[in-house]
Amino acid sequence: MTLDSYLLVGAALFSLGLIGALSHRNLIALLIGIELMMNAASLNLMAFNRFVVTDPTTGQIFVLIIIGLAAAEVAIFLSIILRIYRAYHDIDAEKLTKLSG
Amino acid sequence: MLEQAVIYTFVALVLIGGFMAAFSRQILYAIIGLGISLLGLAGLFLNLGSPFVAAMQVLIYIGGITVAIVFAMMLSIAMSIRPPDPDTRKLGFAIACAVIFFGAVAHLIRGAQFQEIASPASEKAWSVGALGHALLTHYNVVFETLSLVLLLAIIGAILIARKAST
Repeated sequence: MTLDSYLLVGAALFSLGLIGALSHRNLIALLIGIELMMNAASLNLMAFNRFVVTDPTTGQIFVLIIIGLAAAEVAIFLSIILRIYRAYHDIDAEKLTKLSG
Repeated sequence: MLEQAVIYTFVALVLIGGFMAAFSRQILYAIIGLGISLLGLAGLFLNLGSPFVAAMQVLIYIGGITVAIVFAMMLSIAMSIRPPDPDTRKLGFAIACAVIFFGAVAHLIRGAQFQEIASPASEKAWSVGALGHALLTHYNVVFETLSLVLLLAIIGAILIARKAST
């Protein structure tokens, strides 16, 4: 596969993540969409790392850092979801309107 | 020939998993789709010459993050809660956004002129040893900062999620 086809797969995965993040009201489904978009970004980085960059450690370390940050992000996001569930007994994003008066 | 078939299998896994994750109303199916998509992505990483990153993808994403999401789902929403009725207007808006995005990016990719290197770097530059060496010398600060961020995320997650002491 060429660089272009990898980039197209990455763009398709990002679009699917965008659909998931925009169309759902469930907070966990939103998180899943965000994870898909993040992975599309890592796929692009790995493809550029293989086909364009001369020193191949750069892109790999970049992707490893993305994976680590995603782990931290998911931990915080899930704990916030649990907290919201305890306060509202629901994780529907459109019902979290306490601050809107 | 066989190699091509394997690569296209991985691409199919990525896209099918992505479709499941994006369009499924049941959260559990969406999580399974996410796992399938991540597995296919690990295969693509392997094909792009990086077995270490592929292994980390499987270990951290599939073994850690996906399982953590399943746990959070089971702790928060009861499995029996009926998923909300699909909001077709919202779904249509999301699909329109995604199609516009994909069209624009595909157009950009087709028009772009990338300076591709003639042949991949040497076997030695791709080795896990080179990766570890770079991580502990040139990227040392990033590595340490990342470990600090992970520690703070763990502490913060415990603080946020614990029950308020009465």
